[in-house]
Amino acid sequence: MNSTPRTLGSRSIFPYVFGGLFLLVLADSWRRAEVDPGIFFEAEGREHLWRFVTGMYPPELSWDFLELMVRPTLETIQISVMGTLIAVLIGFPLGLLATSTFSFQGILHESEYRGFGPRHAFKVCLYGLARGLLSLFRCIPEFVWAFMFVRAVGLGPFPGVLAIGVAYGGMLGKVYSEIFESVNERPLEAIQSTGAGRLQIFFYGWFPQVLPNITSYTLYRWECAVRTSAILGLVGAGGIGQQIEISIRMFNFHEVTTLLIILFSLVAGADYVSAKVRSLL
Amino acid sequence: MKPAQQYHLDGVRKVFGRGQVALEGFDLKVARGERVALIGPSGAGKTTLFRMLNCTIRPTSGHLRIGGQEVADLYGRSLREMRRRIGTIYQQHNLVPRLRVLHNVLSGRLGSWSLLGSLASLARPSQLETAHRALTDVGIGEKLFSRTDELSGGQQQRVAIARVLVQDPDVILADEPVSSVDPSLAETIIKLLIAISDDTRKTLLVNLHSTDLALSYFPRVIGMKAGVKLFDTATSRVTPELLQELYSGHAPVNGAGEPYREPEHRRTAV
Repeated sequence: MNSTPRTLGSRSIFPYVFGGLFLLVLADSWRRAEVDPGIFFEAEGREHLWRFVTGMYPPELSWDFLELMVRPTLETIQISVMGTLIAVLIGFPLGLLATSTFSFQGILHESEYRGFGPRHAFKVCLYGLARGLLSLFRCIPEFVWAFMFVRAVGLGPFPGVLAIGVAYGGMLGKVYSEIFESVNERPLEAIQSTGAGRLQIFFYGWFPQVLPNITSYTLYRWECAVRTSAILGLVGAGGIGQQIEISIRMFNFHEVTTLLIILFSLVAGADYVSAKVRSLL
Repeated sequence: MKPAQQYHLDGVRKVFGRGQVALEGFDLKVARGERVALIGPSGAGKTTLFRMLNCTIRPTSGHLRIGGQEVADLYGRSLREMRRRIGTIYQQHNLVPRLRVLHNVLSGRLGSWSLLGSLASLARPSQLETAHRALTDVGIGEKLFSRTDELSGGQQQRVAIARVLVQDPDVILADEPVSSVDPSLAETIIKLLIAISDDTRKTLLVNLHSTDLALSYFPRVIGMKAGVKLFDTATSRVTPELLQELYSGHAPVNGAGEPYREPEHRRTAV
């Protein structure tokens, strides 16, 4: 028989152990992360903060400066679009390979018809490889990718595009494969039973089922890519981010304000566009 | 000359993954143009039988011949050609909800179309006329351009029938075609299927939950229970005692063990 269920009053020591551990971790983090609210109250700290905040106002709105920022702004959009495109090109095929219903059974339990031979072993290897690559791609933060690509291909927008492409490719591939796993097989079976070939089943039964979901998720990721491309600029990967970095280094905080306003409009704009498109799906 | 026998099953047995016996020692002969109803409690193996009859799954052992051809010998192109000649209507209609009705109907042509031709048709529908005629035949010609998931259950079942019409197969298999529609509509759909098979001299096999429909519209009735055939007889010989035995809780004497349960992912979500 099952053991009697634990009631609220039962005396387990686990809550106390975990509670104690949690407090220890919290206290240690406080010390090691050098959290020091005192800085907001000391005279010197306050002065620094005040200079920073007042320095940011008013935003730099001179025509010369704004004109200079048109290119980086466009560049940010271009980085996000190209990066997302590359992410789709990486994520879609890898996502397919990382889908067990695909790799092991074919679209429709073809293993029933093909059996398990070396062919099957090969598919299992591909499946594992695809999953491994996808987790590698997304476990390394896009910031680190950008850093490496800047070293590899030099400063400019291209390393930013590659960084977003690879890191987001990993995320897209993972989510795509989850979408692919949830495809309803019944319509596929019905289409197969009309004598359709595998690719015909793919385009008539499978693709229409996944298209709305993957479009929606890809748009959402593009939205994130706009924001990310700004961060990537900080390591020299072009766009608005690079301008923010330059302005901060030159202590031109009022320019930073303008750039943050531009960034905000970009992200809000991307948000609006993708919401609009997704509502049509 | 085509052989007169549409289906010839000899000692067919089907065992699924974890040793679930779905079908045991199944013999069956169906002549060309014949009209047969299959009845029996759920879990009797009717759907498994149909999925073998339309070459979706293979028997574990035994012989399955369609039109004189041994299905075990068919692979690739010849297998697809065999599938093209068998049209199936499913309980859940199994349409692609996001596609327009016309593409769901025209997917019945895929066995005859080339890959490129079928892709082109997604952008610019070919044989629109064929699709429209089929839909008109099942009474919903005006739904040609609607999105499939906007249709009611009964209308979707008609789309599935239209798909079989444009496929123009030798055999129509209908697996519980009316279990998701209301009773009055059920009768209409059964009549429609019979009219279609009569007009074009197609063999018609129907799985039915309702013994009433089976007994009133089909000359031959097969009773299935726990993976075996309990009776196979002219409708006039079906007695209340036979039906009682078919639906009683007791397994038949030569029962095939555990009734087959569908794997999790195939379970019906109504």
